[in-house]
Amino acid sequence: MTLEIDALTHQYGTEPAVDDVSFELEEGELVAILGPSGCGKTTIVQAIAGHVSPTAGRVLLRDGDVTTLPPEERQVGVVFQESTLFPHMTVGENVAYGLAAQNVDVDRRDSVVDDYLALVDLSAQRDAYPAELSGGQRRRVELARALAPEPDVLLLDEPLSALDRTLRERLREEIARIQRETGVTTLFVTHDQEEAMALADRLVVMNDGHVAGIGSPRRLYESPPTPFVASFLGRSNTFSATVCKRQPPTLALEGNGVRGEVTLANSSVDAAVGETVTCHVRPSDLAVDSSNSAESPLTGEVDHVADLGRRYDVTVRLEVGQELVVAQTSPPPSVGDVVGLDLSPGKLTIFETSHEEHAGTEPTPS
Amino acid sequence: MSTEHRRSRWTVRTPELLVPATLGALLLAYFAVPFVAFLSRTGAANVLGGLASSEAQMAIRNSLLTAPVSTTIATIFGVPLAYVLARQSFPGKRLVEALVILPLIVPPVVGGAMLLTAVGRFTPIGSAAAAAGVPLTDSLIGVVLAQTFVAAPFVVITARAGFGAVDDRLEQASRSLGYGPIATFWHVSLPLARGAIVAGIVLTFARAIGEFGATMMVAYNPRTMPTRIWVDFISGGIDAIVPLALALLAITLVVLAAVQRFGRVPTVIDR
Repeated sequence: MTLEIDALTHQYGTEPAVDDVSFELEEGELVAILGPSGCGKTTIVQAIAGHVSPTAGRVLLRDGDVTTLPPEERQVGVVFQESTLFPHMTVGENVAYGLAAQNVDVDRRDSVVDDYLALVDLSAQRDAYPAELSGGQRRRVELARALAPEPDVLLLDEPLSALDRTLRERLREEIARIQRETGVTTLFVTHDQEEAMALADRLVVMNDGHVAGIGSPRRLYESPPTPFVASFLGRSNTFSATVCKRQPPTLALEGNGVRGEVTLANSSVDAAVGETVTCHVRPSDLAVDSSNSAESPLTGEVDHVADLGRRYDVTVRLEVGQELVVAQTSPPPSVGDVVGLDLSPGKLTIFETSHEEHAGTEPTPS
Repeated sequence: MSTEHRRSRWTVRTPELLVPATLGALLLAYFAVPFVAFLSRTGAANVLGGLASSEAQMAIRNSLLTAPVSTTIATIFGVPLAYVLARQSFPGKRLVEALVILPLIVPPVVGGAMLLTAVGRFTPIGSAAAAAGVPLTDSLIGVVLAQTFVAAPFVVITARAGFGAVDDRLEQASRSLGYGPIATFWHVSLPLARGAIVAGIVLTFARAIGEFGATMMVAYNPRTMPTRIWVDFISGGIDAIVPLALALLAITLVVLAAVQRFGRVPTVIDR
């Protein structure tokens, strides 16, 4: 295992920032830590880099415990959100900085700097100072500087968040290419789910200092392990229901003095009969069915329709009171129409309402 | 409507900075008038003749000997202190900060008296040192002690502001690239805070070479330029001090030019 985080816990004073977080990175993997701001992502990065001593837990690099080692004795490359290029050194000197610490001789240092500047396509800027570079160029120099000493792990802490959208997308591709070419094990921290899903082999979704789910982007998206993952990854409709029957799974929706039952195909319910559960369904997994408006509790009136260019978001207010959003590309119904909603089989995710918000470590899918 | 509009366009607007600039100009005039008045006396005095006297030469020699030593001591101990204050929070930090400011708040002559109570001839430290042949009062060492006490806070405060302006993530980046804390200080923190530190050193030097109050208490002899000026003034009045005062001014002006050359002087502001 290249990097292993074992039951990491950290508090700032009495304020818990990270609570019992465990995950691991295989050689050459690109894993993204994804979560809203303040969920403890940066604390984890700082603990791996050695700039924060965790209150409890261990950090292992190449199976060696480095928890108590200072940053300079860990082979960890770091790129922060804000530029940390040394303003008094040229681009070339910045990239050579980490090599000089390893006592690489000057000739060899020069050729390594050449290689890494070529990798990020900035060979012409070797003698420029950081202040003369654009924001995107500075990011690329920082990548080259972090990679040149060939670290065991590369940590990227919100490296694109300070850039504008176009540049962000271009650099995202660039990071993916550089990671592919160097094969460096990378931990990428972001609050942007699109960025995380586009780049990462696996995601570690964090919420409030806890791990809310670990897995491949598709698996987490399609079968979220916790309600937080369901609502944070992509858009999701949330509503509560009561379990009526477990075979076949049947849920009751109630409200406004109306009660209806839905029988689910291709789903299973773990909760006991009579228990209240929270259901998540993606807008794209619902469809408006104007012909079927009779007995289903998933019947309601079209409240409003948003035209988003590529698709329509149709908001339907159910008779039982809840609002669900349906995403569709076909022409939408009119506001005020009474419609039924069809649920794609197996696409409803059900959580017991008492479900703990954080999941334990899951085995790495191979 | 349109004429009104036109008229308002032609109205002379009051410059935004008129009020602060006027107030500032008054203060500047107050600085300049005594300066010019004093310089106008130079015609009446024989400057070169005054500086040729052996007393004046001795005073210049003593000042040029002691002030650089005091400045060096203040820098060697003050810059590390500034770095710690800029980077670390610890219990009692406020007390330490108050202690740094203390020599600035205490009138120099009182500071000198305090030094006497600590290292005077009849204190354990002072008598031991005198017995060992290094008297701490009425000696060049005494002058250095007085100058360092009064002037060192300048380099501490200025350097601290300089280190405070260096993003500590730069230091973290350096650490992660394989450099220990001391190597990081040398390669990153110190070069980036250089301008502020140089300005602090220069201010400290200017303060040290002009030090009078504490020096007079601790080492009235041997004479430095400020104490010599005092002695000349008592015996010969204003005209008698013009030569040494001009020499001191010249040194201070060179110092000032150096500050200008190294860029902006950071103000005494905490991060």
